Amino acid sequence: MSNKEGRIARHRSPTRRQFTALALAVATTASLMSTTAYAQSVDLSQWSPEYIRSIAGTETYDTAATCGAVVPNDYEGRVSYWYTGAFEADPLIAHEQDAAFWEAFKEAYPNIQTDVQSITYNELLDKFRTSLLGNAAPMVVRLQILGGVEFAAKGYLDPLAPEDVGYTSADFWPGALKSVTWDGTGYGIPTNNETMAFIWNAKIFADAGLDPESPPATWDDVVTYSKQIKDQLGISGYGLVAKQNAGNTPFRFMPQLWAYGGGALDEAEENPTYDSVHINNEGSKQALQAAYDMYVRDKSVPTSALTNTQAENQGPFIAGQLAMMIAHPAEYAKMLDLASQATGADKEVADAVVENMRYGLIPEGPARRAVVFGGSNIHVVNPQYVEGEYDEQAAKALICMWTSPEWSTKLAWVGSNPGHLGGFKTEWMKERLDTIKFLDVTTSMLPNGIPFPVLPEAPEIMNIIVPDMLQNALTESMTVDEAAEDAARKIEELRSGM
Amino acid sequence: MSGVTEGAIFTDRPRTGADKRAGLLSRMWKQRADYLYVLPALIVMMVVIAYPIYYTIDLSLFRTPASLQLRDKIFIGLDNYTTILSSASFWKVTWQTLIWTFFSTLFAFLLGLGAALALHREFVGRGLLRALLLIPWVVSAVAASYVWKWLYHSDFGAIGAMMVQLGLADQPINFVDNINTALPSLIVVNIWKEFSFAMIMLMAGLQTVPEQLLRAAKVDGANAWQRFWHVTFPHLAGVSTVTILLLMVANFNSFIIPWIMTGGGPAGSTDIWITQIYQLAFGRQRWGVAAAYSVLLFLIMMTLGYFYVRALTQGDKERAGA
Repeated sequence: MSNKEGRIARHRSPTRRQFTALALAVATTASLMSTTAYAQSVDLSQWSPEYIRSIAGTETYDTAATCGAVVPNDYEGRVSYWYTGAFEADPLIAHEQDAAFWEAFKEAYPNIQTDVQSITYNELLDKFRTSLLGNAAPMVVRLQILGGVEFAAKGYLDPLAPEDVGYTSADFWPGALKSVTWDGTGYGIPTNNETMAFIWNAKIFADAGLDPESPPATWDDVVTYSKQIKDQLGISGYGLVAKQNAGNTPFRFMPQLWAYGGGALDEAEENPTYDSVHINNEGSKQALQAAYDMYVRDKSVPTSALTNTQAENQGPFIAGQLAMMIAHPAEYAKMLDLASQATGADKEVADAVVENMRYGLIPEGPARRAVVFGGSNIHVVNPQYVEGEYDEQAAKALICMWTSPEWSTKLAWVGSNPGHLGGFKTEWMKERLDTIKFLDVTTSMLPNGIPFPVLPEAPEIMNIIVPDMLQNALTESMTVDEAAEDAARKIEELRSGM
Repeated sequence: MSGVTEGAIFTDRPRTGADKRAGLLSRMWKQRADYLYVLPALIVMMVVIAYPIYYTIDLSLFRTPASLQLRDKIFIGLDNYTTILSSASFWKVTWQTLIWTFFSTLFAFLLGLGAALALHREFVGRGLLRALLLIPWVVSAVAASYVWKWLYHSDFGAIGAMMVQLGLADQPINFVDNINTALPSLIVVNIWKEFSFAMIMLMAGLQTVPEQLLRAAKVDGANAWQRFWHVTFPHLAGVSTVTILLLMVANFNSFIIPWIMTGGGPAGSTDIWITQIYQLAFGRQRWGVAAAYSVLLFLIMMTLGYFYVRALTQGDKERAGA
């Protein structure tokens, strides 16, 4: 919490007016997401920055007691767990909250032994797949929102619903629950749900002759702004990420693709069937062309975009060498951390960047404004693939604690939002809103969130085929049309079981 | 052994297949203690080598769609091999693997040879220089890959910045984000990492070159090149063959440097067999195709292994003959 003061909002957000103007549109979209058989524990139809603030801090929870009603607190057992914890790209507070959870769990369940592995985002899926083949998987695993269905469809996961650990399905986002539903059965519980936003450096905008307080309204504007910044200042405009086999790439490119009316399949449609391939439609090609224009034609994005993940864009941004990018809510806290570590002249630059950092909505396209409905879900593994003896009660105790309003809020502190909607009502949510600058902006993007296709093949489509398409176009190994058609062919082959 | 041979001589008739079989069994029985000594090692090899090989070959005959568990795999015979051999990407990756292996091996060997020859002479600081030149080999490949990744970085890399400062380039050079320069850039890193190994092997080989032969050649008027070519190099032939074969095997199996630095990109321009196999298996879960790829790689490795063993045992046979 050493950076707490720094996180306190010092200015009224310059883009707040825009959010108010958008409230109606946001509420309309939100109502689409709330169509569910359950009465949600918060009113999603009212979703807006103001509503989020109004419910924060209105309820209190005693997590140990709540979970104690599901699994007695004196239960003796053992649980093994794999997840992506806090790593070097995460701010200090994320490391602190992670450590605090394990202390709290030990306190609530002193007789449950934990065998925990924190595995990086890009490695967890591969390692989990391999462990399943050798019957050496953990009892509980938390996977990115994209990952669960693949394993559920293959029978590697056991059914798991919020009701199994003392909650109700109404406590979670309908879209998030859908992401863990396969063949009508739930195979996990959402731990956190997030949407990203758009950040920019107001000083760079001003120096390049752009309005420093207005983000690009459309993706076409992003291309124009990026070029103008490169031409005027010689630095990169937009932080394109196009690395192969890296989750960062689809999380940053799919919003652009959807905005232009494209998609991998029809996941951006209101009622997706996943039966038709959209990666080679006109919208997808326009989005790919926009990326091509920035990388090849204008050279206005980092040359290293083809090997960069988002972590490699943080350095240039804090050094004032990159003007804008799609970012997590955590990016602001990360920039504060980086600035606090800088020394001498670097510190002056870093402090200036933090001061000039702005958050806004992700630009819209001709079809819509879109963002990946991201997050993670927690799952229990089918006992026959678990290493060692399976302990269902210990697994439930861990899941109950992790998905509670308290810990789904605290563990998502700067990087995400609580998976349990009750988290939005907690005192900790209020503290987050009071101390984390721009949190309301990223939270406001939630109703624009589009989940990745709920298919076992989704990880390959998003992590491999989409980045491959980008790389083929950006390296000019293929034309934009050829790259899109090649991607479409690969998706069709994949869907046909080849 | 002698009994069977003598029996064949005494009976004065051609040896039949049955005689040979009886002879082999008899010899094996006589040497049963030797077989017992190596039995534990054989059992371990069966478990950790033979079974995986069998399983990989078996798996290569199945289709493993991403939507099915591995145990639900579908038998398709040799279709995976047909698919691989008829795909354009296979030949592209194979060509890149050959380029990677050939140039890495060639330049690592030549650099290692040069360093070994230079360090073979006595001079002040030789020990320190030898230790310094060993660093690339000692450094973890993972750490080295990350360091080089940043040295090469297309926007903020130290090498690019230095070249701009020295006026050798207008802007940082695009080493690893360009399909034409990425593979050569990675080969440079691989050579840097491997040449120390060749140096060590060849330095050991240089110890076997008789000093009196070199002195005699010098007395006879041979210049430095002639002494190297006609005296030193022939004595290095054996160790050179072994070194080259080991480098080739290591390079065919390279994974860490290309995977960490580029992940096979951009646009597959640094994909080599191993990265392709990894991606097929663990990224795309095409276990069957990946297994077929692995079987093909195994056959190449076995061929290289045969030559390696032959090169190693050549000396033993020569000594036995002498």
